[in-house]
Amino acid sequence: MNIKCSEFDNLLLEGDPHSMEIAGRHAQSCEACLEKLTAWNEISDTARDLRTTWTNEMLWPRIERALKQERRRTGTRYWQIAAALILFAGLGALVWVVQRQSHEREFRNVILTATAIDDVEKAEQAHRQAINRLEKFAQPKLEDPSTPLMISYREKLMLLDDAIKECQTNIDRNRQNAHLRKQLMAIYSEKQRTLQDVLREESHASNQ
Amino acid sequence: MHGVTLALSYPSPVITTETSTKASRVGSEDDLRLARACAAGNTDAFGRIYRLHGDHMKSIAYNHLGNVSDAEDAVQEALLKVHRAADTYNGEAAFTTWLYRVLVNTCYDAMRKRQRRIQEAPIDDFITSERAGQNIDDAKRMTLRKMLADLPEQRRSVFVLFEVEGLSHAEIAGILGISEGNSKWILFSTKKQLQEQWKRS
Repeated sequence: MNIKCSEFDNLLLEGDPHSMEIAGRHAQSCEACLEKLTAWNEISDTARDLRTTWTNEMLWPRIERALKQERRRTGTRYWQIAAALILFAGLGALVWVVQRQSHEREFRNVILTATAIDDVEKAEQAHRQAINRLEKFAQPKLEDPSTPLMISYREKLMLLDDAIKECQTNIDRNRQNAHLRKQLMAIYSEKQRTLQDVLREESHASNQ
Repeated sequence: MHGVTLALSYPSPVITTETSTKASRVGSEDDLRLARACAAGNTDAFGRIYRLHGDHMKSIAYNHLGNVSDAEDAVQEALLKVHRAADTYNGEAAFTTWLYRVLVNTCYDAMRKRQRRIQEAPIDDFITSERAGQNIDDAKRMTLRKMLADLPEQRRSVFVLFEVEGLSHAEIAGILGISEGNSKWILFSTKKQLQEQWKRS
């Protein structure tokens, strides 16, 4: 099989025995390709000689020792990982218990607060009912005021009732607002005082 | 000091049909069993690997790293890596292919770490002196070794595995994670490059 010099590199690239045989035949008739092939083969021949082996009786025992150490280290590492996992699990459980207790406490606090507010509301309601009863006594005089003072008492009481309504609406929106409750109690106290003044004025007038 | 002897027979790079067949197969049951034993840290399994492949491993490492001490360290490190990673071996390639891949990567790591040292002393004087006086052209061998030391990692690996160790392109492809055609091309272009330098020298 005849080949051209331009195809010579392709044979070297293939490198199989058949291609090298063709390349060899071509090189016999081409000095440039012969030079190439000689260098090519020389490199291969020299490379084969680079294969190196030696005997070191100490190497395998050294590797064996290193493997044993590695195995021990791996074992220790597994224990460390297991210990870390147990520690994390313990910490997790502790945090969970503490959180749960805190939630329970919060829940209990909420219930207690709600109960306390209920008590306060009941007391307020009783207070309001007492004032309303007082108002009933003063009602006839206020409906038909005979003096300018009575007229001003009636207007004051109307203003106080408006203020009570507004305050009560706000409290319905926010039951736990202590400031509003104080305000409401103050208005009721003022209403109570005013009603007492009305009744006192009435008895004073009847005495005269 | 290490007792150094020459390998008496060198497989021809072109007469590698047997190894080529071996490389193309996937890992056998034996390979998987061996890998499992390695993962368990079975010293006998490592002993078997060392007996069967130790010489090859030492030669590959030596031709990458350029001295006996580094080569032995690389062989040891590669076997430790095999122990650490054996449970990831899935039998997609032959165990030896995987073993050599680990070794070559270990050599790359060592080369990067010790680059300066290798450039300064690429040839092991002890082995060189042991070989002196034999029929082989010592000067040529030293020249080629120096030229190899200057090659990039992958080119050096392909050249060493094919021309020195006599592995097939299929095996080299498996070891280096490249295609067979690519392995052929890298070898060809490397040899062309070496040929130019060879002529000059």
